Amino acid sequence: MISQPRAGKSIGRFALSEKTLLSIKNLKKVFPLQGEELVALGSVSFDVYPGEFVTIVGPSGCGKTTLLKIIAGLLPKSEGEIHVDEAMFDPTREVGFVFQKALLLNWRRVLDNVLLPIEILKLDKKKYRSKAMEMLELVGLKGFENAYPNELSGGMQQRVSLARALIHDPKLILMDEPFGALDAITREKMNLELQRIWSESKKTIIFITHEINEAVFLSDRVVVMSARPSRMVGAVDIDFPRPRKLEVRTTPQFGEYAVKLYKMLEIT
Amino acid sequence: MGKGIKTFIKNAAPKAFNFLLFLVIWQLIVVVFKIKVFILPSPIRVLQHLFYPPIAAKYNWWLHVGATFMEVIVSFVATAIAGIFIAVMICWSPVMNQLLSPIIILFNSLPKIALAPLFLVWFGYGFLPNILVAFMVAFFPVVINSAAGLMAVEEDLLDLVNYLNATKAQIFIKIRIPNSLPYIFAGLKISATMCVVGSIVGEFIAADKGLGYLLRDAQAFIDTPTMFACLFLLSIIGLALFFAIGQLERLVMPWNRRREA
Repeated sequence: MISQPRAGKSIGRFALSEKTLLSIKNLKKVFPLQGEELVALGSVSFDVYPGEFVTIVGPSGCGKTTLLKIIAGLLPKSEGEIHVDEAMFDPTREVGFVFQKALLLNWRRVLDNVLLPIEILKLDKKKYRSKAMEMLELVGLKGFENAYPNELSGGMQQRVSLARALIHDPKLILMDEPFGALDAITREKMNLELQRIWSESKKTIIFITHEINEAVFLSDRVVVMSARPSRMVGAVDIDFPRPRKLEVRTTPQFGEYAVKLYKMLEIT
Repeated sequence: MGKGIKTFIKNAAPKAFNFLLFLVIWQLIVVVFKIKVFILPSPIRVLQHLFYPPIAAKYNWWLHVGATFMEVIVSFVATAIAGIFIAVMICWSPVMNQLLSPIIILFNSLPKIALAPLFLVWFGYGFLPNILVAFMVAFFPVVINSAAGLMAVEEDLLDLVNYLNATKAQIFIKIRIPNSLPYIFAGLKISATMCVVGSIVGEFIAADKGLGYLLRDAQAFIDTPTMFACLFLLSIIGLALFFAIGQLERLVMPWNRRREA
């Protein structure tokens, strides 16, 4: 029933690539808690190939965010390995992170928020201004570059944070439930947008959600994690052609994928 | 611009009316109950002391207002610069924090006004001891507020720049300092009021000019209208400074202004 993560083979646009962009083996994270050890992330292993869209699903508290933060270098790992192909990308500079909250700096106008990574990476800000404008257009916020974050709606703020994560042209984008706080309609729009941006920009994305439909719709592969004690249950390849339309959700195959994931999550 | 003036008048009109009403009631009470002038002078009497040339000429108002105003401004600017600088040092380096925090806590627990007689001994009469008293009184709110603001950054906002390996200087300049601005301005507003208090106390003890000096001088002659005139001018100085800080705040933090609108 449960398909293990494939080694050396990928699906989707980069089916021929044998080289992983990122390879995670037996990654584990424990936090000390009142003298005891709290396992935040039990042994997780999966590979990510260049250009892939990989989604991690699992109940709240299963360590999804912890996993992403370890990949981004925000938390140290306790055990296991993360292997990055440094010939393909520089993990200290070529990562983009979209957080659960938009996390815009309210003292900066939208354009300057988008340019924040450029400043931090000490790149030439002037050169990236026009790119920032393009990014804002890409996420449908043309004309809002001079607004302050508190003048925008929640969905618009999250789109600014998406533009910010893309501005420095990262190879790998980490997304931590970026649409969790949005209403259902905005969320579906954002899913379509994200698919379009991803296919245009040829990025690799690791995406976290606990919304099964979102996971099936967006992903090349879905990695399933269990509740505490956190561990990896398995992975499912999603074999729909791209670009996908929202109607794909009404197909029987979509339902089968969803049921398979629900079973792996032990929701029956 | 014309619109700005219009809204200003619209906002200011009720306040001005309330103030006038207050003065009218005060005047009526003094007249109706025939209150003696050394107990409570009427507002007209007080205003005569300030503005009616034959009476006002006896007092060198400009000299005294100027002296107090200078003390307040200089001590305020000094507290602002020193307070913010020390707060940044404390937050920048844990060593500085351990070194400076105990000293700050110790000094803050001291009734700073009690230092005024000591400053008289050390520095004599005049400008310097008054400024030092004002500085001592007004300094701590700025340090404590600014430090709190610099520390009070959402952990997530730090993640936002840390995953790109931001330097400590970048974190301060791009996140911590702008994030602390509302706290810093709250501290500055407290400090402004305290600077007026400190300057006056300094002038009570060691001065030959200034509104604090004039207050004590007038007290010796039971010249109550002059005392009230001094209080009126002091409140004007305090209000002016408070207003100026408010304007500066709007200038420095335009994103907050838009939220109000």
